[in-house]
Amino acid sequence: MGPVLITQENQLRQQCVDGLSALLPEGLMLSSEEELKPYESDGLTAFRKTPLLVVLPETIEQVSAVLKWAKANEVPVVARGAGTGLSGGALPHEQGILLGMAKFTRILELNPEHGYARVQPGVRNLAISDAARPYGLYYAPDPSSQIACTIGGNVAENSGGVHCLKYGLTVHNVLEITVVTIDGEILTIGSGAQDSAGYDLLALMHGSEGMLAVTVEVLVKLLPEPPCTRLLMASFASVEDAGNAVGAVIAEGIIPAGLELMDSPAIVAAEAFAQCGYPTDAAALLLCELDGLEEEVVEQIEKASSVFTRCNATKLHIAADEHERLLLWKGRKSAFPAVGRLAPDYYCIDGTIPRSQLSHVLKQMSIWSDEYKLPIANVFHAGDGNLHPLILFDSNIPGELQRTEELGSKILLLCVEVGGTVTGEHGVGVEKIGEMCVQFDQNALLQFHAVKAAFDPQTLLNPGKAVPTLQRCAEFGAMHVHHGELPFPELERF
Amino acid sequence: MNNNDDTAALQDAVQQARDTSSAINLQGGGSKSFLGKGSAASTISTLNHSGIINYEPTELVVSVRAGTLLTDLTAALAANGQSLPFEPPQHDRATIGGVLACGLSGPARPFKGSARDYVLGIRMINGQAQHLRFGGDVMKNVAGYDVSRLQIGAYGSLGLLLDASMKVLPVPQQELTLVSTRSSSDDYSYISGLARRALPVTAAAVHGNIQYIRLSGTEAAVKAAANQLEGDVDVDSNAFWPALRDQSLDFFNTDKTLWRISVAEYASVLPLSGDWLYDWAGAQRWLCTEESPEAVFAAAAAAGGHAIRYGIDSAGSENQVPRFQPLSGTAQRLQKRLRDSFDADRLFNPGQFHPEFDVEPDHEQASS
Repeated sequence: MGPVLITQENQLRQQCVDGLSALLPEGLMLSSEEELKPYESDGLTAFRKTPLLVVLPETIEQVSAVLKWAKANEVPVVARGAGTGLSGGALPHEQGILLGMAKFTRILELNPEHGYARVQPGVRNLAISDAARPYGLYYAPDPSSQIACTIGGNVAENSGGVHCLKYGLTVHNVLEITVVTIDGEILTIGSGAQDSAGYDLLALMHGSEGMLAVTVEVLVKLLPEPPCTRLLMASFASVEDAGNAVGAVIAEGIIPAGLELMDSPAIVAAEAFAQCGYPTDAAALLLCELDGLEEEVVEQIEKASSVFTRCNATKLHIAADEHERLLLWKGRKSAFPAVGRLAPDYYCIDGTIPRSQLSHVLKQMSIWSDEYKLPIANVFHAGDGNLHPLILFDSNIPGELQRTEELGSKILLLCVEVGGTVTGEHGVGVEKIGEMCVQFDQNALLQFHAVKAAFDPQTLLNPGKAVPTLQRCAEFGAMHVHHGELPFPELERF
Repeated sequence: MNNNDDTAALQDAVQQARDTSSAINLQGGGSKSFLGKGSAASTISTLNHSGIINYEPTELVVSVRAGTLLTDLTAALAANGQSLPFEPPQHDRATIGGVLACGLSGPARPFKGSARDYVLGIRMINGQAQHLRFGGDVMKNVAGYDVSRLQIGAYGSLGLLLDASMKVLPVPQQELTLVSTRSSSDDYSYISGLARRALPVTAAAVHGNIQYIRLSGTEAAVKAAANQLEGDVDVDSNAFWPALRDQSLDFFNTDKTLWRISVAEYASVLPLSGDWLYDWAGAQRWLCTEESPEAVFAAAAAAGGHAIRYGIDSAGSENQVPRFQPLSGTAQRLQKRLRDSFDADRLFNPGQFHPEFDVEPDHEQASS
């Protein structure tokens, strides 16, 4: 082995190790190159950075000690759950500590009588429902990554899932969280009550991407499993027909538990992957799940079927039993990896649009897809307008990742243009930081920074994520001139 | 319904208040003075800023200006078979801006969600007279901090709410009320477990020793659920829910002090004397009492909840008795700084919401 390079980073790393060793028991820090490697990215692997060191605390007090020390020494801290995030929200800081919450894996209390579970942030989303199932209860938000993603990360991203049209996002299903501030103070936000004194900090913390505080405990609401669940699958000859059917079923007064749309490339890929019985000749497919009392579900299935028929459905099929229902969902939930097999790489976009804009947006995407010669497959949380176009590319072809990112950015800006947002559920992270400059004006961004400063004036928690600086926006504006107008024209260009 | 965009005038008014360093009280229809008022000498009304901006029933979204009367909004939604599922209380000439600023939700709250749960986006004016837009018209949106929901229940102390976009839902096909008699007026044990039953319950209350349960949904579902629950169908009792929502039952007409106490529905009976009414399946408890505010706040805190005084204090003079559960420690410090970040000069509703947020801003302390 050659001599150790004395770089500024190595010096800083040694300072951190020395400082934190005094506060933490042995074995909670990782600092060698091979130990740091697994932490260099989250689910968005196109971005990678090596942190100074990884700290894996085991107690809330240790989290508090680390944050206090970081504040005193002005060292950035990036918190991380399972690292399944798709926007680079847990991308490490090269001069910072990566605070891994992976050891907080205990379900502290499960109370079926009162309908809640008190869990540590590193508990996996699906593990909560697994633990609650014997009591006929479950935790409603179900992001596709639920087998691996953790509840702490769900709070940070305000994760959704296929059932959030009816059952809401993480923010609607969490009663209380305990956080540690950058000052090392421990604060409980919310309670078993339906509201709290003062401002709604619980709402503010959800989706704040680890920028305001570190979540160390979560009290989630458990819901009773519906006695009856049925899945209706409808095929269509065009995506427009399927899109119209979504609006029509809602106009009928039906709120499905889940309403998912897939286009032809996604259907074909998912069928090849999961062999779940999708009609591969359809241009679009709707999965419409209805739940509740049997009497209600039977009535609504009939109603939804006649709506879909009226909207030119070419085929209707009701899952015959629980086995088939789960199989049809498996196809949808494995759509990402399934599409992933079609090309060496894929890039997942997460814009949300008003549903009425669906066919306009899909048409435009298909034009761009031809222009860029990059195929796009679409899976879509149709009920709530959350699009997930998957751009297929090959990162080994020079320049193709850049072209993919450019196409992705174009799609996101189109979402904003039609009245939507650059991120429905995956978060801004580092990925969409430039597009934030288009969605929000200067005053709104400054207000975000002011909110951040109320919690973390030195911007030590997850710096550089979620909310762009105005300087960053000026640089972004130079790349993305919209309708000939530069964003932030009052700022100097550099 | 009036349809008028008064944004420019409202922004001017805030700018003027800022230029002259004179604080302002924000007001909609002025229907909620029982929840207190800021100590400013002048008032800005949002009543001229009214009308529905955008309503697409199949998108399940309505965007509306703050000064729109709640009655106008609910009528427009009802014409399309839809409603605001959080059942906002209908006090006199209540505006949607006032309902959201106070964060008020009706009897459906524990089953269908709260005012903040249904807010998707807002436009507002902060203490620097800047016009800001957060969130949007779409169901899912995690771009930036959730400043929209933060405004709900902030009593205007973070800014003047201009417009809000909200999720709406279809009105249920049928509603019916089940009535039964309990052993005492404090026996909410049955209703507090209802959220764990997979039944279309949308409200549950105990008033006197009468228990009320509301079911909403398809005809078949409501009928099936009624057979699984205590109580007899009582058509006359359907009128109980709006009266409970608007606090217009006789219970609320009291010489004593009226408190709203928010605790977990499974919290034990609180050790406070007086008359109780249990709404929200036991999670929202109304109390008419002569107990001191300190005693009420202490009991609410001990039960893990908080209390808000409605109307005047029967013993003390109005401005000396706190209305909201006082905060302290880290919670108070952080929230005061949050108020600083929106309204450092305390232009909006000074002293109304948590007066402990309105002590000198941090930066002034630091520079003095």
